[in-house]
Amino acid sequence: MNRRVFGAAAIAGTGALAARRMLSTGSLQDRRKPRSRVAVIHQESYSDRLDQTLADGLRLFNLDLSGKTVLLKPNLVESIPGREVNTNPRLVGAAATAFLTLGAKTVLVGEGPGHQRDTMLVLAETGLETELRERRIRFVDLNRDEVVKVPLKTRFTGLEFLWLPRTVLVSDFVVSMPKVKTHHWAGVTLSMKNLFGVVPGVAYGWPKNPLHWRGIDRSILDINAAVPAHFVIADGIVGMEGNGPLHGSPRNLGRIVMADDPVAADFTCAQLMGLNPARVNYLTQAAEFLGNGAPQRIVHLGESLPRTVAPFAVLPEFAHLRL
Amino acid sequence: MNRSFAHLETQRLARCRLLEEILRRRLPGGGGWGHRGEQFGAEPTALALLALHSESIVLRERIEPLMARQGTDGLWSDVGDPMSVNFWATALAVNTLSILGAEPTTYADSVEALIRSRPMEASWLVSLKFRFLDRHVRFDPRKYGWPWVPETVSWVAPTAMALIALERAKRRGLGRGGELQRRLRLGTEMLIDRACPGGGWNAGNAVVYGVPLRPHVDTTALALLALRPLYHLPIVRNSLRWLLRNAECPSAYSLAWMILAADVYKDVEITVSPAINSARNRLAALVEDPRTIEDTSTIALAAPALDLDPISNPFEVEE
Repeated sequence: MNRRVFGAAAIAGTGALAARRMLSTGSLQDRRKPRSRVAVIHQESYSDRLDQTLADGLRLFNLDLSGKTVLLKPNLVESIPGREVNTNPRLVGAAATAFLTLGAKTVLVGEGPGHQRDTMLVLAETGLETELRERRIRFVDLNRDEVVKVPLKTRFTGLEFLWLPRTVLVSDFVVSMPKVKTHHWAGVTLSMKNLFGVVPGVAYGWPKNPLHWRGIDRSILDINAAVPAHFVIADGIVGMEGNGPLHGSPRNLGRIVMADDPVAADFTCAQLMGLNPARVNYLTQAAEFLGNGAPQRIVHLGESLPRTVAPFAVLPEFAHLRL
Repeated sequence: MNRSFAHLETQRLARCRLLEEILRRRLPGGGGWGHRGEQFGAEPTALALLALHSESIVLRERIEPLMARQGTDGLWSDVGDPMSVNFWATALAVNTLSILGAEPTTYADSVEALIRSRPMEASWLVSLKFRFLDRHVRFDPRKYGWPWVPETVSWVAPTAMALIALERAKRRGLGRGGELQRRLRLGTEMLIDRACPGGGWNAGNAVVYGVPLRPHVDTTALALLALRPLYHLPIVRNSLRWLLRNAECPSAYSLAWMILAADVYKDVEITVSPAINSARNRLAALVEDPRTIEDTSTIALAAPALDLDPISNPFEVEE
């Protein structure tokens, strides 16, 4: 074990210990279910078959969506030609249609990009605007939604509350739809990191800099404890490796990951990326109280995980994440 | 009817519809405007007041929607909560009050608070960290402007708006001479330092992990508005050229900022007027039905951008 791996393991271990201590003192509520369900689904491209794939995949979970308002939260950062930065619009559109088909009363798509203030520009340039218009799905700019002051249930950042968009808080079923990517500050950006996009720019600016200063890992934990995603549909058809989340290289993974637990989803995605989730600090801590990371508590409904994976390229700072 | 007249008429009608929509969205009791829904927002309120002012529409409540939300320290929040200070919202409010002819005493404390505020990199410890330890983002922390919110670092949009507001306030006799000048100089240097290598501005970082970031239309426009007196600098001219290439931008918010910024350069750059004409045609089409645009700020910004005979550009730095 080299010094960097040892350091990362030590940080992750310390974080997990801190979470365990908070659990034992009652300051942290254990929200883990006895078992989490994950479906890894083979899908080579963003083809017309996506609608069917999504509908079939969701049926595996027997979700009760009747009369519910579903909010899809894709990962939109900005449009960079030739880069697989954003959750693919066709996947978002297919998910919206699938949830309506399965009985949802309403499906909304909402996002609050971190750097680009003009959300509607990102929507237009990525093609999501056209996709949603054709499917008659409404979009909400979470950066400029009405906001509500929400007391935090955890204090990893030391903040007492977060301003959060009303649309997110009143939705019955929040679906995090990340792009499977590496991230130059957080190591990986998956369904939990994706929820940074629910924090409104009108309250925190562009980027959401107060959360960076409080620590990205800690912020991810506080946000996910405040706004738990009920479901995950991760876009791993083409992911990004290397210098993500903007300037990495496309990486064909050929998978969609669905899960009823964001922690289980992110552990699975990290493994598909050939990375060790137990070395991602925020994932280790989240697995102590927010969701399941332990393999014995994750039921796979779709494909099983491949035995060997060529690891995603990562920046040298994150070399210790590779399996 | 020739084509250019038809375009002008389309733009005039679009502007009328925008102004009607702004009036329709007033919060109950003259409480200002929200981004969407019924929650006050300092940005949409400031921009809506400017849009109505440019059409000489005077509301009974005049500047009251903004003044009612000013914190005791003179600062504004964008979400209406006095504890959540926002320097972008404050700079917008100061600029708006100044243009609306408010008594300078109503925003003198706000000007002082803007001058006094410091971003994180103004601290010597943080500055050292960025200069010698954390070099993933290439910038000079000794050149700082304004953050969005306290206890964070400088970013382009709040810095540009603070420079515009403070320059205007200076001409109203507000602000302490030496310190005001120093903050104006530092803020200007910060914008120049953070420009993308080929021109234009991203949110505030130009190069991260050795990779140049792409400029954004709105932040580039804002920085160009603030840097108009420095047109002689190559980085300003390059940034203007980059901006003018975005006259076909598909979003009304960015396009409106682009028009307002290009407008202040039309006396020094011959290609500006045709680009503005083209952008206005595009903007008029994008805002054809303002009821479908959720964000009131976009509507309020598009109205002055479509003003064919402006009394003055609300974001032009007075020289």
